[in-house]
Order: sequence, then C-alpha cells, then structure tokens
Amino acid sequence: MIFTDFVFYILASILLFAGMRVITSRNPVHSALNLVLAFFTAAGIWVLLQAEFLAIALLVVYVGAVMVLFLFVVMMLDINLDKLREGFWDYLPVAGFIGVLMAGEMVLILGSNHFAIITAVEKSAGYSNTAELGHVMYTQYLLPFELASVVLLVAIIAAIALTLRDRKETKSINPSQQVKVKRADRIRIVKVKSETEVAEVIEPAPTDKPRGIK
Amino acid sequence: MTMQKIYLAIPLLPMFAAIIVGLFGKQLPRATAHVVTILGVGSSFVLSAIVLNDAMTAPAYNATVYTWLKSGTLTFEVGFLVDRLSAMMMVVVTFVSLMVHIYTIGYMHEDKGYARFFSYISLFTFAMLMLVMSNNFMQLFFGWEAVGLVSYLLIGFWYTRPTAIYANLKAFLVNRVGDLGLLLGIAMVLYYFGSLDYATVFKLAPDFAAHTVYIFPHVPWSLMTVTCILLFIGAMGKSAQVPLHVWLPDSMEGPTPISALIHAATMVTAGIFMVARMSPLFELSNTALSFVMIIGSITALFMGFLGIIQNDIKRVVAYSTLSQLGYMTVALGASAYSVAIFHLMTHAFFKALLFLGAGSVIMGMHHDQDIRNMGNLKKYMPVTWITSLIGSLALIGTPFFAGFYSKDSIIEAAAASNITGSSFAYFAVLVGVFVTAFYSFRLYFLVFHGKEKWREAKGDSHHHESHKVDTHDENNHSSTDAERAHDSHDTSHEDSSHEEHHGLSPNDDPHEPGWVVKLPLILLAIPSVLIGYLAIKPMLFGDFFKDIIFVNHEAHPAIEDLTHHFNTVLHTPAGMALHGFMTLPFVLAASGVLVAWFFYMKRPDIPAAIQHRFSLINKVLENKYGFDSFNEKVFARGALFIGNKLWQIGDVQLIDGAFVNGTARLIGKLSGVIRKLQSGLIYHYAFAMIIGVFLFLTFFMKT
Amino acid sequence: MDNIQYDMITALPEIIVLSMAMFILILDLFLTDKTRFFIYVLAQFTLFAAAYFTLTTHTPSVGYSFSDMFVDDALSDVLKLMMYLSTSLILVYTRNYIKLRGMFRGEFYALVLFALLGMMIMASGQSMLTIYMGLELLSLCVYSLVAFDRDNVKATEAAMKYFVLGALASGLLLYGMSMIYGATGTLNISQIAAALIDPTLIQSTGSHPVLILGVVFIVSGLAFKLGAVPFQMWVPDVYEGSPTAITLFIGSVTKLSAFAMVIRLLAQGLQPLALDWQGMLLIMAVCSMVIGNITAIAQTNLKRMLAYSTISHIGFLLFGLMSASLNGYASAMFYIASYVIMSLASFGIVLLLSRKDFEADKLDDLKGLNQRNPWIAFLMLIVMFSMAGVPPTLGFYAKFTVLQAAVQAGFIWFVVFAVLMAAIGAFYYLRVVKLMYFDEPVDHTPIQPSADMKIVLSINALALLALGLMPQSLMTLCAYAITHSLQYPK
Repeated sequence: MIFTDFVFYILASILLFAGMRVITSRNPVHSALNLVLAFFTAAGIWVLLQAEFLAIALLVVYVGAVMVLFLFVVMMLDINLDKLREGFWDYLPVAGFIGVLMAGEMVLILGSNHFAIITAVEKSAGYSNTAELGHVMYTQYLLPFELASVVLLVAIIAAIALTLRDRKETKSINPSQQVKVKRADRIRIVKVKSETEVAEVIEPAPTDKPRGIK
Repeated sequence: MTMQKIYLAIPLLPMFAAIIVGLFGKQLPRATAHVVTILGVGSSFVLSAIVLNDAMTAPAYNATVYTWLKSGTLTFEVGFLVDRLSAMMMVVVTFVSLMVHIYTIGYMHEDKGYARFFSYISLFTFAMLMLVMSNNFMQLFFGWEAVGLVSYLLIGFWYTRPTAIYANLKAFLVNRVGDLGLLLGIAMVLYYFGSLDYATVFKLAPDFAAHTVYIFPHVPWSLMTVTCILLFIGAMGKSAQVPLHVWLPDSMEGPTPISALIHAATMVTAGIFMVARMSPLFELSNTALSFVMIIGSITALFMGFLGIIQNDIKRVVAYSTLSQLGYMTVALGASAYSVAIFHLMTHAFFKALLFLGAGSVIMGMHHDQDIRNMGNLKKYMPVTWITSLIGSLALIGTPFFAGFYSKDSIIEAAAASNITGSSFAYFAVLVGVFVTAFYSFRLYFLVFHGKEKWREAKGDSHHHESHKVDTHDENNHSSTDAERAHDSHDTSHEDSSHEEHHGLSPNDDPHEPGWVVKLPLILLAIPSVLIGYLAIKPMLFGDFFKDIIFVNHEAHPAIEDLTHHFNTVLHTPAGMALHGFMTLPFVLAASGVLVAWFFYMKRPDIPAAIQHRFSLINKVLENKYGFDSFNEKVFARGALFIGNKLWQIGDVQLIDGAFVNGTARLIGKLSGVIRKLQSGLIYHYAFAMIIGVFLFLTFFMKT
Repeated sequence: MDNIQYDMITALPEIIVLSMAMFILILDLFLTDKTRFFIYVLAQFTLFAAAYFTLTTHTPSVGYSFSDMFVDDALSDVLKLMMYLSTSLILVYTRNYIKLRGMFRGEFYALVLFALLGMMIMASGQSMLTIYMGLELLSLCVYSLVAFDRDNVKATEAAMKYFVLGALASGLLLYGMSMIYGATGTLNISQIAAALIDPTLIQSTGSHPVLILGVVFIVSGLAFKLGAVPFQMWVPDVYEGSPTAITLFIGSVTKLSAFAMVIRLLAQGLQPLALDWQGMLLIMAVCSMVIGNITAIAQTNLKRMLAYSTISHIGFLLFGLMSASLNGYASAMFYIASYVIMSLASFGIVLLLSRKDFEADKLDDLKGLNQRNPWIAFLMLIVMFSMAGVPPTLGFYAKFTVLQAAVQAGFIWFVVFAVLMAAIGAFYYLRVVKLMYFDEPVDHTPIQPSADMKIVLSINALALLALGLMPQSLMTLCAYAITHSLQYPK
C-alpha cells in the first residue's frame, strides 16, 4: 500500500495548497480556479477510497456547474477585492495566533488515535459503490434525502423571491401582453395621395399633413 | 355565614370594589366611585370588628384557602392565619382606610383621576389585608410587593409633576433593595426549613438555633442571624429605616390621603408587623435583635432632627413618621414585640389624624404647603385645630393620651433591655422625646398660632427674614444637586408657578372644608385619645398576644420587667399616666413644647441666629445627612456608568478596539459605506465566536 | 436492511405542512392582490390541520420511524403544538404590517411554513443528520425572510450578517457532530447515549478527548442558535435590522426549536457527558445574564433592548438546562414556553404601533402610550412585569422554577447571582412602564389596530397573568413532555 499512501499525500498537499491560495490570492479569478483545483484533488482522494460515484459527482456538480457559474459571476461583477481585503494584514497576527493555538490543541486531541472506527474492509471486485449509495439513500436515509430536496426547493424560492422584482425603471416586457397586441392598436394607415407631376411648378409641401406611420 | 367566609370576604370586598371602579370608573357617574369603594371597605371594617371580637375568645384560625401550585415538595398557597394579632391589624387597616376613603371625597373632589384614586386605595386595602392575614411567607411576599406597587402608583399619581415621577422612581428602587433582602431571607427559610408555612417554620426554628451556614468558606455564620437580618432588611425597606429611609419623605409627592393611609398608618408599618410575626425566629438570635435595635434607634433619633428644619407641612409629619417607626423598631429589638405592635396601633390613629389634619390645612390654604406662609389658622379652622392639637399631644406622649402609653412603654423596654446597643437605644429614644415635642409644636405653633403670614405679599417666602440663610444655601445647591429639585421650597415654588392652585391670596380667609373632611378627623381623634388607656392592659400585660408572640423571657427580660413594674407599682393605666407626670420623658416633652413656643412664638429671631451660627449643622441637616446625594452619586450613577461602560468596552472596545485597532473609529467614519461596515463587523462577530470556541477548548480539555 | 418501517402516520403533521406550503406556492400564481387574503386563511388552516393531527395521533409512548431517524414522542408533540400556536399568532400579528410594506406575497407564507417544517423536524429529530437538516431548512428560510423586504438596506445588511455567522455556527455544529460520530460510530441519538455509557468504548479507545472536542463544538453551535454569550453578537444587529415581523419570528418560535435541539443533542444524546457540558453552560449562563441585562440598560432602541433582554433570558434558560436533571429540563421548557409567550406579546405590540413607513422601534415611541391608548399600555405593562419577573405574572414563576432546579443541582451561589441580575434587569423593563405612564407622548397619531389583532394580543398578554396565577397547568404539560420522552433514570 505504499503507492496509494504516496498518492494520498501528494493529493492532500495539493489540496491544502490550493485551499490556502483560495483565500490568499489577490485575483478573484485565481481564487476560483484554485478552488476548482481543490475540488479535483478532493475527487482524487475519493477515488483512492474507491468512492467513485462521489468523485464523479463532485467533478460534475461542483466543477462542472457550480464553479463555472461562480466564475461567470466573478468575472461579470467588477469586484474590487483589494477593498474587501482591506485590513487583512492587520487581522492576520491576532487571527493567525488564535488559529495556530487552536490548531495546536486540535492536533493534540486528534493526533492520538481516539476514534472508534473499525478498519475498512476490502470489498470484492464486483461491489458497486454507486448502487450501494443509491440503495441506502432511498431506504435508510430517505428522510434526510427528502429534507435535502426541500432545502433545495427553499433555496430556489428564496433566490427567486429575493431577485425577481418589478423595478419601476426596468424596461422588461410582459410577454402575454405583447402577444395580445393587435395590429390595429399599433399602426394607423393614412392614405396619402401619390404625388402627381406638375410640370415646372414647384409648390411648397403642406406642413400640417401627417406623413406615413405615426 | 361561617367564619371562613367572613375571612374571605374581608379582603375580597375592597378588591371587587377596586376592580369595578377601576375598570368602569370613567363610564359610571362620578359618585359611584366613592359609594362602591366605601361600601366595600366599610363592610370590610364591620366584618373585621366581628372577627376581632370573635378572636378574643376563639382559638387562632389557620387554614389554606387556595393552592396556587405544587412543585415537588414545595407548595405555594393562599391561606389565612387569623389570630388576635392579625385581627387587630385588620381592624386598624380597615378603619383607617375607611376614614381615608371618606376624607378623599372632599380632598380629591376636583381631581381628574377621582375614580382611579378610589380604585387604587381600595386595591391597597386589599393588598394590605392579604399581607396581614397571610399564614405563609409566599403570600406575605405577594402582599408586600402588591402594597409596594400600589404605593408606587399612588406616589406618582400626579404623574405630570416631574417631582412626583422622581419620587416614585426612588421609592421603587429603594424598595427593590429591601425586597431583595426579604426574598433572600425567605429563600433561606425555604432552603433550610423546606416549608413556607409560618406554623411549620416556627415549630422547626428552635432546632436550628445553633445551626451555622458558610457564606464564605471557613467563616461560620449563625443561620438564624443571617435569616433574620435578611428578613429585617426587607422590613427596613418597607418601614423606611436608615439607610433605606430616603424614599419616604419624597413619597409626600402623592396626594395627602395616601400619605395618611399608606405612608403613615399601614404600609410602612408592615415591616414592624412582619418582625413581630416572626418573633419565634428573631428570638433565636441576639445579634439580629441588636442589629434591629441599633438601626431603630438611629432612625428614631436622627430622622427626628430632620423634622426640625423642614418647612413643608407634610414633610415635617413624614420625618416624624420615620422617627416613630424607629421607636417601634427599638421596641422590636428589645424583644418587646407587643409594645411595638401597640405603638403601631396608637401611631396609626394619631399619625393618620395628623396627616389628614395637614391635608385639611393644605386645602384651606389652597394647596400651599409651606408652613412659613401659615399662621393663626385656629381662628378659621377650629375642628382641624382641635384635632391636630389632640394628634400632636398624642404624638409627643402626653399622659392619658394614646401615644403616652405606647411610647413610654418603648422607653421603659429600651431601658430594661440588656442586649448590645440597648444603652444607646435608651439614650436615643429619650432624646427623641424632646426632639419630637419640639418639631411637633414648632409645626403646631407656626400653623395655628401667630401672625396670619399669607397676608404678606406673595412670593416673599423666599426672603422671609428668619430663613434668609437657609434660602441662600438652597439656591447655591439647586444647580448642582438634582435632589433639591423637589425640596420643600422648590416644590412650593413650582406648584405656585405651574399649577392652578396659587395658594391663598393675601385678602382671602382660609375655610375649613366640609363634613366629609371633618368627620374622619373627629373619628380618628377619639381613638387617638382613648385607645392607649383602654388597650394597654390587655395588650401588653394581659393574654392578648399569648401563643402569638414568643419571647424568651430569660434572655430578653424587657417585657417581663415592664409587666412586673406595672403590676407592682402602677396597677392601672390611670396610675401609669399619673406616674408619667413625674418621669424624665415627660419633663423632656414639656421642655420641648416650651422651647418650641419660646423660639417660634416669642423670639422668632433665635432660630435664625442659631442657623446662622451653626451653619455646618444646618447644612448637614439640610442635606439629610447626605444620604440622597450619596445614593444618587454612588448607586444611580454607578449603575448607569457600568451599563455604559460595559456597552462601550464590551461591544465597542473589547471587540473592536482591543483586537482590531481603530475599528471603532472606522465604524463612525464609514457608517455611510454600508458594505465596508458589514464586512468589518462580521469579521469581528465571527472572530468573537472563534475566541469563544477556543476558550471553551482550552478550559474544558483534559488530555 | 430492507425491512425498514416507514410509519408515515408519525410524520403526518410534517407531510401536511410540506404539501400545503407547496400548494400555497402554486396557488399564489393564480391569485391577484385582492384575493391574496385567501393565502393567509390557508396558512392558518394548515396550522390548524397540523395541530389537529398532532393531537389525534398523540400517544404517551415513543414511536420511531424512517429507520429511527424520526421520533414521535410527547416532547416533540408538545413542542410542535407550541410552534403551531406561536406561528398562528405571528401570522395574525404580522398580516397588516407586511401588507403595508409590500411583503404580503405567497412566498412569505410558504417560507414561514417551510421554516415551521424545519423546526418540526428539529423537534422530532432522532439522528444528528435529521436535526442538522431541519436546522438548515429553518435557517435558510429565516435568512431569506430577513432580507424579504428587498428595498430595506438595513434588513439586507442584517440578513447578510445572519447568513455568514449562521453558516459559521452550522459549520461548528457539524464539526462537533462529526467528532461525536467518529468517536461513537453512530449518528443516532439514543445509540450515542448508549455508546457513551458503554465502558468498553471509553476504555478501549480512550476517546474521551475527542468527545469533549465534539461537545465543545456542538455546544458552541447550539449557543449561537440560542444567542448565548459569547455567541450572541448577531442577536442585537439582526433583531434591530430585520423587519419587525421577522424579528417577531426569530425572537419567539425559533427559540422553541433551538430548545428542542439542545434537549435532543445534550439531554438525550450527550447526557452521559453532562459533567463536561454543565460547566460550559454555566459560563455562558452567567455571561449572558451580565452582558444581556447590563447592556440593555444603555439601549434606546426598543428592538435592540429586547434583543439584549433575550440574551439575558437565555441565561436563565441555561440555568435550567445545566441542572442536567429531568426537573431542570422541565423547568427550562417551562421557561422557554413562557419566554415565547412574552416575546410574542412584546413584539406584537411593537408591530401594532407601527404604521406605514413608520417603525415604532424606539423607546421614545412608547412615551405616553397610556394617554394614547390605555388598554395597549396596560397590556405592555403586563408583558414588561412578566419579563422583569414580578409576581404573580408568568415570568416570575418561570424564573423561580429554573432557579429552584439550579438550587437542587447545587448551584446556590449562582442562583443568588441570578436573582441579583434579575433585579438589575427589572430596571430597564420598568423604565418602559415609566415611559408609557409618566411621560408625555411625542406622537399623537391614533392607534387603530385591526379587531382580530387586538383580541388575540389581549388574550396573549392576559395569558401571562392567567398562567401566572395557574402555572400548574403549563408546568404539568412540560413535566409530562420531558418525563415521557427522556428515558434515563433520574
């Protein structure tokens, strides 16, 4: 198992590095891309654990959908990150000090082997992680699964309720009204006599007559 | 009707009356307010009299009426303990209350809040009756808080006056301190005795006499001492003992009938009643009794001094009340509980009389309360004059009057007592006799005799010759000290400038108010003369309080000595009175009256000269020994200061300033830039949370 | 693994609330502004129906469902009934307010019902996973409700703060849960409790430090939801910034769910570690009382003052919880129920005094209320007395009962301290009374509440007095809920 250990440490250090870069990078696009890198390495670790479904889901959902969307938003909004990060270096000493202390405490506790987890059992070759996940998700974990769907529903409702709005200044159009419009409402045809040629005589054009479509 | 129904009816009748008048007072015709409440309180009084008559022979009634809730082994219930002590209190409370109800018809007849006022005083009667009839600590506390609440409402009755609001807030805050003591005392009782029922607790008390508790490690305190002192702190708040007395003089901002009913006759004596009721507990601790006695004697003496320099008619009587409450407390300290209760009763009558008399004078003077504007009122208000004279004579302890019997007994009890502090108490009550006589008759002479001073030009009161110094002093203070705002001068000044009553104009004659005012005065004057003569023998030396008040005669022989002296030397109340003419207190009282006459009738220049010469003493008295300004500076400002500081330090500096330098400044600058403000604050909040987690980890981790 | 019981009946109220919330959402599309009142009626009906089915399916015994992740016991039923009742009152109180501010939309009611669903799940959660999902559902709804009035800059700011800090707190909670899972190997609450008293586990793995780590993080996450010091920073800002209708929601009914979560996690799951979390609760209780009561004195904004008052009330609640006995939990439940009733009434009055484009959230707005409307002033008087703990109001008994529990648990000195703090707290409540009765009104606009609101608010405030005189009924209910649901020897 030397090789898998080796791969794990490589992936883990990339993951940590990418995570650090997410918060220290000056450019928001770099931050987002670093996050993508972090997701990739995390997916790699899952593959190592033979959780291929989770790895794929992570790539498809987070990297494929969420992060791309996120990148769009970051690029479209002109966020001045420097302004947001103002005072970062003022905070760093105190926050870093507390952070290091806390990390130290947690290493002390978690470093020793206190967990009650039994060592993992190697599954046979035909074992399908995906099928197993699907099975427990729709049986044993049905309730949390359904609740997760409600949470997503609420997220959609909330997002729509908070963003969809009729501002007075918007020029958006109402499709149903647009469809109902009849020709008669919009155009008026005015018959104008075709100009007859009057030889050699130039008359001034009448000013009070409408011409063409109003 | 069984007795139990009567007991129930006595407090409930005034309560129903209060509810009817309180809720529908505005819709019903004006007269309904007094008719309904007087009917309620009147029937209560009649029933109380029946109960007292019954209690003279029947054994004590002690039963639960209603169980509020059960919580584990603990039960909270409403119950009545009706014995001769509570029956007597019931009669006193309902009688004085009835008188005040009648009197109020005259006193408040112009006031907008007529119905509201009647509702409050009936409600008060209910609460006070519940307090005295209680058979457990819980109901005692309930009654205690309820009378406090009504008192609070009534002090602020004229809520448009800023001084009334101030006084009312002060009464409330000071009483909270006392109530905290009482509550802790009750908590001690509950914790150690496991019950709130009087009978159970009293039965268990002797077993705990030697019990000690550790409030601080390794320092044993006697359980009974701690409990009794805590309970007494409650009594100090309600019965206005030094240093929790500061609210009572200010409570005079309320209408006068209230001063008579609540702040003289009934509520303020609740503390005295409570200690007497708890006699089985207090008897077990000499330390607590000494504490009681010393506090009482300080109050009796030093509050009397303050009465001398007051110029507001009600404040003089208020300080006299404080001093008399001190006398009762001294009696309690001397284990002469029956004497204290006896004085409580006689005092209720003559002090209510004096207050109502003062109220009558105030009405006659068109709501001018400054005694320097009065004089020779005997010519215009004969009934008020005679009854006030009777009240004053009773107060200073003239033989044969009610006050003589009770006050003389207190002095004797202080002399006979042998606990720590009794010699000081004896000295204090003796000097107090002189002081009492002096200020009572100073008031009497200035009001009822001498020149008709209101005929001098209006507004002169500030430049009155004999008080020049004193006025000058006040003006100096008024800018710096908020207390001054409602001191006597300024009050009268404010009243005359803001209210519709302008005092009497120089050409008017004062008139005595109608019968509704005179009748209570006369009815109160009768017991002020007679009750002492009639009641002393059964109450002090008979079996009246047998099995109700417990005295350890071996340790505290005062009451035993008194009885012995009475039975062997005096024999009858009349004999006691005749003997009284030859004792030191009588000489002191008589000289007090004489000095007052000489100073204020004969040579009014002397007090001014004294004031001038001894301006330091005068200043100390003017400042009421500095209690008020001390409280204001230390407690009031302290609490506000801590509140502000914590807000500043906790919210602004600790989080923003200490950890993140200069963010407080940033917040002020960037209040417009909301986005920045948001992120800044969230950082801090989140950081505070992380710190919290970190501290928990550090404290609770045991690896 | 396949013979899992799905006893849908146990979750019937949840199913009703969920279906109705979605139905309201769809129905709203077909309603115009004039007929939208129907949504309100439907929401009230939903609460009624849920209450009806909660009552009819109630048994004193404990029923599990959804592979033991969901429990239907006395505690969950009683808490749910309290939640329906308070939500119903909230809907009555807020109707007019949200109408005047353009928030009277179908989404509002749908979000409130979804939030209610989240709270119901928290009350019934028997697995750390379900409890966490319920909490997230509730939080998400509340965040968006705070920001619901979109043109209100203050509210948006408050929502932002609440969201970020809430996410952090959720993270802490989740981290703690993962530690407990790591040490015990199960997510199920009762199995955790069983594992913790299993001596082989502790000895063989020596997992105590990990458990403490988990407890610290779980307690921190819970403390955030309750608003206990030092996790209270969001409370004043969010209370002040939110539209009062939402403050009412956050300040009242959500506290019931936070209480449910505390009972489920600490009292049911981590009871064997009580000695460890008692100390944390004690520190938080004391700090909350000090910071809450003393800071409240310096406030001029009524909502902010009530926010600090909430913090101090939470301090008292923690006193009941830290006794770690059945008696203590019952008293804490009594306290939280009383607090919710008081909080509903107090914010209800603030809502009632608010008008279009005017929030009555300054203390000065209460000045001279007695002259403007004596009845409402009287109701507020009762509420303030109850909050201050003046007998015979409910607030007094609530304080008394938690302190009694604390005395029994041996925290005598802290009880004395708490009494002192309550005395300090009385000051700022009574200042409100003083403002109402003794000051001249600044604002003379007549107060015209709708009839239903006035009646319900009166009943709500008078209940403080009535229940204060007869607290036994509510106490019995709380004791019943606790003793029938927590199954360990006292």
